[in-house]
Amino acid sequence: MPDDSSNVSDATPLRYSVKGKRMRFFDAQGVDELVSICMGLAQEMWVLKERQAAMEAIAEAKGVMVADEMENFEFSAEQRQALDAERQGFIDRIFFTLREEAESLEAAPEDEPPAPSMP
Amino acid sequence: MSNDLIDHDLKVDHTKDESSRQHFVQGMRGYVLNDLAGNMKKVWDRKVEPAFEKANGRKPADGPEVHKTFKPETIFKFYSSMRCNTQEMVWRSVMPAIEREGADLAQRVQVLSQSGDKAQGTVDTNPNFEVPRYVSELDVHLMPGNYHEERIDHDVSQGAVFDNGLGVFSFGLLGDRMEDITESVSTFFQARYPDVKPEKILDMGCTLGHSTLPWKARYPDAEVHGIDVGGPCVRYAHGRAQSYGVTAHFHQMDAEHTDFEDESFDIVYSCMFLHEVPLKNIKGVFKEAHRLLKPGGVMVHYELPPNSMMSAYDGFYLDWDAYYNKEPFYKAFRDADAKAEITAAGFKADSFFEHVAPSKNLYGQDALMEAVKQEGATNDSHVGRFADGVMWYFFGARK
Repeated sequence: MPDDSSNVSDATPLRYSVKGKRMRFFDAQGVDELVSICMGLAQEMWVLKERQAAMEAIAEAKGVMVADEMENFEFSAEQRQALDAERQGFIDRIFFTLREEAESLEAAPEDEPPAPSMP
Repeated sequence: MSNDLIDHDLKVDHTKDESSRQHFVQGMRGYVLNDLAGNMKKVWDRKVEPAFEKANGRKPADGPEVHKTFKPETIFKFYSSMRCNTQEMVWRSVMPAIEREGADLAQRVQVLSQSGDKAQGTVDTNPNFEVPRYVSELDVHLMPGNYHEERIDHDVSQGAVFDNGLGVFSFGLLGDRMEDITESVSTFFQARYPDVKPEKILDMGCTLGHSTLPWKARYPDAEVHGIDVGGPCVRYAHGRAQSYGVTAHFHQMDAEHTDFEDESFDIVYSCMFLHEVPLKNIKGVFKEAHRLLKPGGVMVHYELPPNSMMSAYDGFYLDWDAYYNKEPFYKAFRDADAKAEITAAGFKADSFFEHVAPSKNLYGQDALMEAVKQEGATNDSHVGRFADGVMWYFFGARK
């Protein structure tokens, strides 16, 4: 699963969090964050579905009965290690919103222009 | 895997999972802008507006009144919160590949910039350039790093973030090379104003140059220039142009204070630019355009249509971005009287024009030519929207 981009050593880091005031819509505390988390989860679920669909198509093309094989399969130690590392990126993406406040504070603009006055 | 909409030499490789994330964001955008926006309008029409009318004996007068009335509704909150999240996910979904290839991309751009094989364009950036505060203090449309942030020498990353993000954002609606807006507007303009034979054309706030290059296709003999305050953008724009084999010249400059000589251009253009500029600076941009144009030269701006052209609800719908998408100057621009501002900058009032060009990508050349015959710009709820049916509004005047 070659998808842990965060560990590439010569990467040029970009800022992922939007600086300045965060948009809020719900009165109850934390609901805006929960929406973000749900959307992150839905996105990651879709990633899995695409990967699963590709795998099944490949397996079928090769004449492998995926359902039977899956039940008895075990990852090797190496595979397990790679998967564990992958899982950290997975969690970080889903709970991204919880690091936003801290990162936005770090990149805080001195004088962000205001939105038009609220009606 | 690469973004299908990017077919030049600066494309980056996204992993399979990153591509899946992008597919999801495209699906989410379709859901939010079509399904959810459609449901929101129904709730407005069937519940919120009738209740307002009952209480006040009239309909809401304008966009802000619709906004104020709608804000407490759950559908508005979910539409808004999901639209913000989707917008942020657009950029985040493309960033990992650009982080991996950032240094290499910078090098690829330099090689393309220095190669005269396919095109002979130029680029100049200014290490002492001061980015205007209305850009430097903001992550416009929720894009972290905006158009200008730089982290390494010859950095083009923010250009790449914008290009790749736009590919996810537009889901094909911007046509080949994502140039449909200017492709449509410039085709319309050339057919409508056949007397204009430009030798020099300037594109202000050009970002990636997708608003610059179509002018070279319309007028192959003209010298075409693009300016932007973002160093990463003008470098990327030049690399992109060279890759496509289109000769164009890019400069890191502020549209209010360029280094060009008086009366040196025949067309001064901008695309999706003015609404990101405070009104006070827009006045400066119009004055600068007037200074740069030769007598008889034309200023042309592709933009979001003005609030005066729309219903109260559509005004509210389009102004949403000013409040929640970090485009705070957008509303003041859409509320302004473009004709009055242009006249104040020295243009002839009777030369003011406005048109709506149907998308060439979506409706074809024939529909575009048919529209050229019509007078003025008409009110149409499709104008300026990005979801269903695409019409491009533009206005301008002559010196």
